[in-house]
Amino acid sequence: MKMKKFINKPENIVAELLEGFALSHPDRIRLVGNNLVARALPKAKGKVGVVTLGGSGHEPGLSGFVGEGMLDISVPGEIFAAPGAPRCLEAIRLAEYGSGVLFIVLNHAGDVLSSNLTMEMAKREGLNVKMTLTHEDISGGTNPEDRRGLVGFLPVYKVAGAAAEEGQPLNACFEIAERMGRNMRTLAVAVQTATHPSTGQAIFDLPDDEMEIGMGQHGEAGTGRMKLKTADETAEIMLDMLLKDLGVKAGEELLVIVNGAGATTLMELFTLFRRVDQILKAKGIKLVRAKVGEFITTQEQAGFQLMIARMDKELIRLWDAPSNAPYFVVR
Amino acid sequence: MSECITKDEFGRMVAGAATEIRTKHVMLSELDCAAGDGDHGATMLRTMEKLEKAFAPGGSDDLKICLKDAGWSVLGVDGGASSSLLGVFFTGMADAVGNDLTEMFEAGLAALQKQTKARPGDKTMMDALVPAINALRSAANGGKSVREALYDAAAAARAGADATRNLQARYGRAKFLGEKTLGHADPGATSISFLFEGFYNGFTSVKGESNNA
Repeated sequence: MKMKKFINKPENIVAELLEGFALSHPDRIRLVGNNLVARALPKAKGKVGVVTLGGSGHEPGLSGFVGEGMLDISVPGEIFAAPGAPRCLEAIRLAEYGSGVLFIVLNHAGDVLSSNLTMEMAKREGLNVKMTLTHEDISGGTNPEDRRGLVGFLPVYKVAGAAAEEGQPLNACFEIAERMGRNMRTLAVAVQTATHPSTGQAIFDLPDDEMEIGMGQHGEAGTGRMKLKTADETAEIMLDMLLKDLGVKAGEELLVIVNGAGATTLMELFTLFRRVDQILKAKGIKLVRAKVGEFITTQEQAGFQLMIARMDKELIRLWDAPSNAPYFVVR
Repeated sequence: MSECITKDEFGRMVAGAATEIRTKHVMLSELDCAAGDGDHGATMLRTMEKLEKAFAPGGSDDLKICLKDAGWSVLGVDGGASSSLLGVFFTGMADAVGNDLTEMFEAGLAALQKQTKARPGDKTMMDALVPAINALRSAANGGKSVREALYDAAAAARAGADATRNLQARYGRAKFLGEKTLGHADPGATSISFLFEGFYNGFTSVKGESNNA
């Protein structure tokens, strides 16, 4: 597949996309330091700062969720590549408003390596930081270390960000992030590859009539390659695996997110969601909150991520709290 | 080879490595397309630029300071795991300046092994790095010169990188590709073999010139 993208010089993609993102939200977003994405108006003194990191090319993830009620600073890396520790450390210093910093990391090898190095350096400097790792992708196996962090970052940013905004201490924000993390599961499926915007190369091969369940955000192979199925069949297979893995029982309350990978239409996502809702109703499981849209993408990859999360009263309250993040506004 | 390496000698090794990567970065990206996202060559180019800058004329004459600067700026390459791991490696070497070259490389490896669980056999840069450093150790114990030791290390790194063709990725992003990684050498291990080849070339070529003078 030949790459067709509106870009300038490949080496300038990240700087230019960040510049455009900040310019399109001048009231809420500004770039600080070494290309860090921060709130235009920093958080009040005395509250916990919330910082994340991740490769670029997944817009609006992750910087689209910087805003009041969610993240303070996001550290974008190069395309599909984690930023190094020096910029993460810079972000943590800037997000220290007097009550410590919560560092939210998605489980991918490069991100974890940078984060561990950042934590070592932060400790040496005497900074008060706690790191929480999201790893909710059930295709990775049963060992939490093998489970990647997918769209589950969204509820974690939301509830931990809301807790920080209302002035909860670092330990409480950390516990909330961890509780959200323990109670969520995601499964991804891909039907068509993306091209890497810097190299123009397809990031994986998939025959025209097949889909792959478990495909990650960077074209990492999954476990279930099969002939392309209908929306209903796909939703049934994936939801069944998720409900089993999380051990959801009738009467429990769920948040469901359907996240488009970039080239899958809202038409398809709504069609899938409709079937998810039907299945949950039939099983007597309460769908208390839902989001359908694009929160983390991989260029023109086609496919989606289905996430379910078991909610409790406090998690729902924090999920509903206000946010002015450009790509997650809650009023 | 129990003598300490000088800043200038190490600077020449770095320059040799940079030349090697510059010549072969396209091949690294092509290898990375087999199991990664095809940007490894570009990451290595940026890494070498930072390394060269840390040893550029007009900078510090203190090897420890140069290596510390190199480590920090390579960490800042923002190229995912490869650049972070190399940053850790050079930072680890910096902490061992004052010891001989083998001990410095061993300290770099020890620092790296604190940050990653990858070991030889996992189809990562470790498959070239560990044999290279073992070769340095054998050469040092056998009383060989720095030049001979670097030659052995480059050969060991090359053999280690080549052997990754027959390995299945068990670490990093490529592990999710399983058997699909068979048949292609690991790009990280291949870069390490280029670095050691460049270290040898850089160390010897200038010495050769000065001998002729």
